[in-house]
Amino acid sequence: MMKLTRRALVDRAFKGSLLCLTFKLGGVSMLLTPEQARAQNVPLLKLSGVQARRLGFLADAMVPGSSDLGVVHFIDHQLNADPNEALLIAKYFQVPLPYLDFYTKGVEVAAAMAERSLEKSIDELNADEAERLVKEMSAPGAVVDQFPIFLFYLCLRSDAVDVVYGTPAGFEKLNVPYMQHILPPEGWNV
Amino acid sequence: MSKVKEPVDVVVVGTGAAGSLFAAVLAEAGKDVLVLERGGARKLTDLYSSQIWARRLKWASPPVVEKGPDSIWFNFNAGHGYGGAAVHHYAVWPRFHEADFTEKSEYGRALDWPLDYSDLRPFYDLVQSDVGISGDAKKEIWRPEGDPYPLPPVLVTNHGNVIARGFAALDMQTAPIPMAVLTQPYKGRPPCIWDGWCDAGCPIGALANPLAVYLPRAEKAGARLQPHSHVTRVLVDKPGKKATGVEYYTPDGEAIVQPAGAVVLCAFTIENARILLNSANTNHPNGLANKSGSLGRYLMSHPAVGISGLFNEDMQNFLGATGGQLLCQDAFGKKSDPDGAFGSRQWEIGLALKPNDLLGIAMTRPDIFGKELHAFMLEGARHMGSMVGVCEDQPLPQNRIELATEKDQFGFPLARIVYETSAEGRKLWQTAAAEGVEIFKAAGAREAWHGPQGGQHIMGGTIMGTDPASSVLNAEGQAHEVNNLFVGGPGVFPTSSAANSTFTAKAVAMKTAKFMLENWGSLNG
Repeated sequence: MMKLTRRALVDRAFKGSLLCLTFKLGGVSMLLTPEQARAQNVPLLKLSGVQARRLGFLADAMVPGSSDLGVVHFIDHQLNADPNEALLIAKYFQVPLPYLDFYTKGVEVAAAMAERSLEKSIDELNADEAERLVKEMSAPGAVVDQFPIFLFYLCLRSDAVDVVYGTPAGFEKLNVPYMQHILPPEGWNV
Repeated sequence: MSKVKEPVDVVVVGTGAAGSLFAAVLAEAGKDVLVLERGGARKLTDLYSSQIWARRLKWASPPVVEKGPDSIWFNFNAGHGYGGAAVHHYAVWPRFHEADFTEKSEYGRALDWPLDYSDLRPFYDLVQSDVGISGDAKKEIWRPEGDPYPLPPVLVTNHGNVIARGFAALDMQTAPIPMAVLTQPYKGRPPCIWDGWCDAGCPIGALANPLAVYLPRAEKAGARLQPHSHVTRVLVDKPGKKATGVEYYTPDGEAIVQPAGAVVLCAFTIENARILLNSANTNHPNGLANKSGSLGRYLMSHPAVGISGLFNEDMQNFLGATGGQLLCQDAFGKKSDPDGAFGSRQWEIGLALKPNDLLGIAMTRPDIFGKELHAFMLEGARHMGSMVGVCEDQPLPQNRIELATEKDQFGFPLARIVYETSAEGRKLWQTAAAEGVEIFKAAGAREAWHGPQGGQHIMGGTIMGTDPASSVLNAEGQAHEVNNLFVGGPGVFPTSSAANSTFTAKAVAMKTAKFMLENWGSLNG
């Protein structure tokens, strides 16, 4: 069997995803894609179980497939990162730090919107109801309970687009060549 | 008590478009140059081809509080770490036109620069020769006089050609876009491979970002680059007429004094003004170099509109440069707007597209989600066309940078931005939005739409002028009140033009750097 060096692992992960991040499992640092981290139940560092479940549900309603591809692990990983190194589009939108507050409040407000508009817990929404909730969140400039829910929608949708379409595998889904300049050096993701 | 370092000839604050040039030119002339950068160190090989990873080039907690009513899109325009914003800039480098410098005297509008195009032309030519610009000076019919481009034009694919059809149908001209991206090997740098990753930072140095051209030159000539050095104030002597150096903080909060024979602020538009405002002292109670009260004022940003459309052709939109393939400046005349708005406009045509990120395919239709999104993404990946309209903003004194009540980790006030797009700029934007959709339809788009108003480039705040009573700097980028204090970057512009700002910021910086060298003996006199 060919020895899988760290370099080879990085290269393989890069070619497969470009979203290879360092996750900790059982006290051991591992280089995993968010999809792999999700599949291996890597413990979340910032989001609670309920927050993670609801965030994944909303992301999947916005960009189908994003939950399976680990959008929640991607976001959770980034919420734990040095903000200057963070890869979230929230940076572009000048979301105030800490980003964790923005994501947890966004989930909380979305859940409250479900209760008010659909008279259901967000956890019990079917696909049509989820679509109605997201539609309400996506109204340009929408502010609910003094929270910029439209901005939250833009950010979460973009995070989900990142994991589904922003990687070499995502480009392949769109039949677009990725054409990276150079492979990243070892340790680039730390 | 602050630690005091050994004096240097020049301290440059910031490693971006202007700072890198100052460092190279001054160090090559034998000056002992120290460059302080607030962010981290970075080299070309740190730039990965990914819109996701490119976000590391942005600020997480910018030293800015935006109060509106409009945003200047600070984080979109600014940068963090070696190379600053210019690391992720798109390298569209048209020159400002003659009329951009004389709007007050020629039209009774806006402000005049204290120099005209002919004063700046040699420095445009010099910078152009340094970095290598690709273009076609003859086909660029609107271009003011200047040396021909040293390199042939950038790649034009179906993307550019199909959209150009729409311009032609409306009797509008297009020409290869002038771009600081190499189409052939040039001065040891390789040409572009047209993969559209400019926004993520070009790691091969084909795009003239500071990491590719002026920072290596600066270091080779002996300039020292120092990361994680947060400059808070310019220090002056007792009479307040001479800068003695700067104060900066290390990440662990240690205050350091760096004495210098001359200070050059190149920390980008907002931070330059903030540093000067925070440098208030007995002789300069309203901020250093602010006897006129104009420090921080005349803040400008180009109102920009993205046009998107779906065409039957395979647009090959993943190829090319992020900044586009073609240019149209038919509406650059100050009085060419059909609705009577004053100012210039231009089109940058055929921007290379990626699926994700702020300017990606998905974000052109933020209203689409769920099951419909994948079909849209598939369609867009092959058939989407894209261009951006850039409009002139007017210099208004009420648009300003001031000190906020909020403070940074070292106890210094953040910058507070009060900004509203000028009425003329807004009108130009509306004209551009409608015209762009019309052009796409004339080019055969099945669907065409425009995005919301965005802001490109941030200018003003430390403007140059002839009169010390109404400006911060003279024609040499030198503070009226402190003759060994200089400012570089687009913050020195008294008018915004509609041309992208980096080339002009470089040309002005080159002029200033040469002035410093020619007048070195008198700077400390």
